[in-house]
Amino acid sequence: MISERLKEIVLQELALVDLDLQDETTADMVPGWDSLSHIQIIVAIEKNYKIKFKGIEILKIKNIGELQRLIDKKLTTVSAG
Amino acid sequence: MFQYFDLNKIKLLLVYDKTDPLVFTSSMFLFAFFALLFLYRVLYKSKPARIYLLISFSIFFYYKASGIYFLFLFVISFVNYFMGKWIGGAQSRKVRLALFLLSLLLNIGLLIYFKYTNFFIQIINVVRGSQIAPLDIFLPLGISFIIFKALSYVIEIYLENIEPVNSIRDFTFFIFYFPTLQMGPIERASNFLPQVEADNPISKEMIGTALFLIMSGLLKKVVIADYIGINFVDRVFDSPLRFTGVENLMAAYAYALQLYTDFSGYTDMALGVSLFLGYRLTDNFNAPFKALSIADFWRRWHITLSSWCLDYIFKPLQMKFRGMNIFGNALALFITFLVIGIWHGANWTFIVFGAIHGTYLATSIFTKKLRQNFYKKTGLTNSRIVKFLQWFFTFNLVVFTTIFFRASNMTMAFYVIKQIFTFFHAEVFMQFVLGYKLIFGLIVLGYLVHFIPENWKVKTQELIVKTPLIGKAVMLAFVIWLVIQFRFADLQPFLYFQF
Repeated sequence: MISERLKEIVLQELALVDLDLQDETTADMVPGWDSLSHIQIIVAIEKNYKIKFKGIEILKIKNIGELQRLIDKKLTTVSAG
Repeated sequence: MFQYFDLNKIKLLLVYDKTDPLVFTSSMFLFAFFALLFLYRVLYKSKPARIYLLISFSIFFYYKASGIYFLFLFVISFVNYFMGKWIGGAQSRKVRLALFLLSLLLNIGLLIYFKYTNFFIQIINVVRGSQIAPLDIFLPLGISFIIFKALSYVIEIYLENIEPVNSIRDFTFFIFYFPTLQMGPIERASNFLPQVEADNPISKEMIGTALFLIMSGLLKKVVIADYIGINFVDRVFDSPLRFTGVENLMAAYAYALQLYTDFSGYTDMALGVSLFLGYRLTDNFNAPFKALSIADFWRRWHITLSSWCLDYIFKPLQMKFRGMNIFGNALALFITFLVIGIWHGANWTFIVFGAIHGTYLATSIFTKKLRQNFYKKTGLTNSRIVKFLQWFFTFNLVVFTTIFFRASNMTMAFYVIKQIFTFFHAEVFMQFVLGYKLIFGLIVLGYLVHFIPENWKVKTQELIVKTPLIGKAVMLAFVIWLVIQFRFADLQPFLYFQF
């Protein structure tokens, strides 16, 4: 499941009004989500959630579902630590 | 006596000869390939036999061009096969990373040694005023393509996008596969290896497409690229100061077309040859001169290289520099294109080629908002005039960079540009057209074919696929006849124009 918070960030960064985001959605299925805006979205997520990704973690991600799970994982380790 | 003579001649055809590699357009390749196809048919039922046959032929293909250096293929295969296996099997993150870095070091080390050692010696000599003699290093065929292909395999395993392959035979086949050895495409393991495993039969459609690609490749390479190269482009680029700006400009446009028809012609033939054997390779070109921006151009030009660099160089750098916002993107792009430039060869001209493209792309990032706002305010977004201007500027900006790509050194490149801007002599243009009718006609024809709508090409291809065998044979014979006419045609006379 993609959270409203993540969806909101994506919409705002890509200047879109609405969007159907599923776990399996990949960047090339979303209008405007190209290699340049990709990094803006990542930076916006880091700021919004106050987390920090490693380069390799982002390179491994294949769809939005995996991005959501990575965020969730980061959040639990942050709160646990 | 006769027998002795003949045997020796055949032997000569089969041994390494630096000046006579098995290029797709040679008659020797045609014979060798027919022999291969015959054996391939005979052995087709046994998958191992047929794969070993292709591996053996690939070794022969490489040996013909690079002699004993065919061993290089074995080194690359074994190193990357085992590295991939160990990276995939490593339990700890640190071991994974260490193994990954080691394989990067080995692959890139080999590439740097073979391709760039003498370039570095040159730079050291200039900087320190020393006189170190260049080393006698042989450049194995297609080394940059082969190493990038092998590297993508270990990188994809490290990124967990693919699993290591279990069969060393299949992996060796992937690395050795002769249609890709000389000039790519830089195939990804994730596209090729599943085809080897699935073992799909060769369909009629594949054979028809293969013929279409081979014919189109031959025409592009021999009739257009080689002909305008030898008869016009080489002459101007060898001594630009002897020609007016008009001729230098025409040579720049002609060279951009030559570069495209040469490389995409080669790629068509590689794809076609491979389809005959049942494997679909990745296309490298998608009408690049139709691009409406430089970024668009790189999505259409040498696609397997640009997507390689996008995935494995640009994206990691972009992540690294993300704190710098828009500057980070620009810097990552610039570095990526410097690497693309250097990848093409150990010469400043290629570095400058990459640097200019990097600068174009960085500039386009910084001016993107400005341009969008301008189009919005003037109501010109997506208008025809804007599209035309975008195409016009992109095309000419690309052609400008190909001057550096072709020039033998930076001085020559500057001479070409100097002639265009300070010694133009527009009145020579009509003399040029009339004096070089065939050359000019070929340049116009080459670009026209490039700009015809994509669905025309698809329809032509479908038509050839549907043509009965006899019709296909006639077409192929005609193309081969035409190719021979152009290959053995006399050189065009040298012309001097009055101004």
